[in-house]
Amino acid sequence: MTKLLEWLFAVSLVGVAWGLVTFDLLDFQFPAVYREVAWPMPVYLLVVFGCYSLATVGYRVATFNDCEEAARELQGQIQEAKEDLKKKGLKI
Amino acid sequence: MATGADHAVGLGLVGFSLLLFTYYTIWVIVLPFVDSDHVVHSYFLPREYSVILPGIAALILLLCVGTFIGIVTWKNRKSKKVN
Repeated sequence: MTKLLEWLFAVSLVGVAWGLVTFDLLDFQFPAVYREVAWPMPVYLLVVFGCYSLATVGYRVATFNDCEEAARELQGQIQEAKEDLKKKGLKI
Repeated sequence: MATGADHAVGLGLVGFSLLLFTYYTIWVIVLPFVDSDHVVHSYFLPREYSVILPGIAALILLLCVGTFIGIVTWKNRKSKKVN
């Protein structure tokens, strides 16, 4: 089974479970509180994933070490490349 | 360690995402278990907005991405003809 199929299977299982609780398809008649918490779950998980991604990016930006020499070297190479391409006719 | 603006921006992102996570978690998960006459409810919009607002934010994000792609494609359509 491919990874895609595995993921789709897991997602559809979770989706069915969520649908059962939110729309009460099997007539379990859960207490109202649990239904109140369950129905925004897909959006909630998306927002939490977004927050986690944002926090990870922010943390890695904040702790990334400056590399002075590599930065200068890179700037020089960018200049070189720009001049070379301009000679060959590319407009930037 | 990153310095200056990088450090500040990074920490700002982390702080913002923590705030957002906390507020949203309380809104979606904690509030239903709190009595409806508790004062904390006055700090949160009605529950429907907890789904509508992220939906609108996602739409705006898609709009921005699509506009950006459109602008870049528009700017490059002439240079394709020249080549």
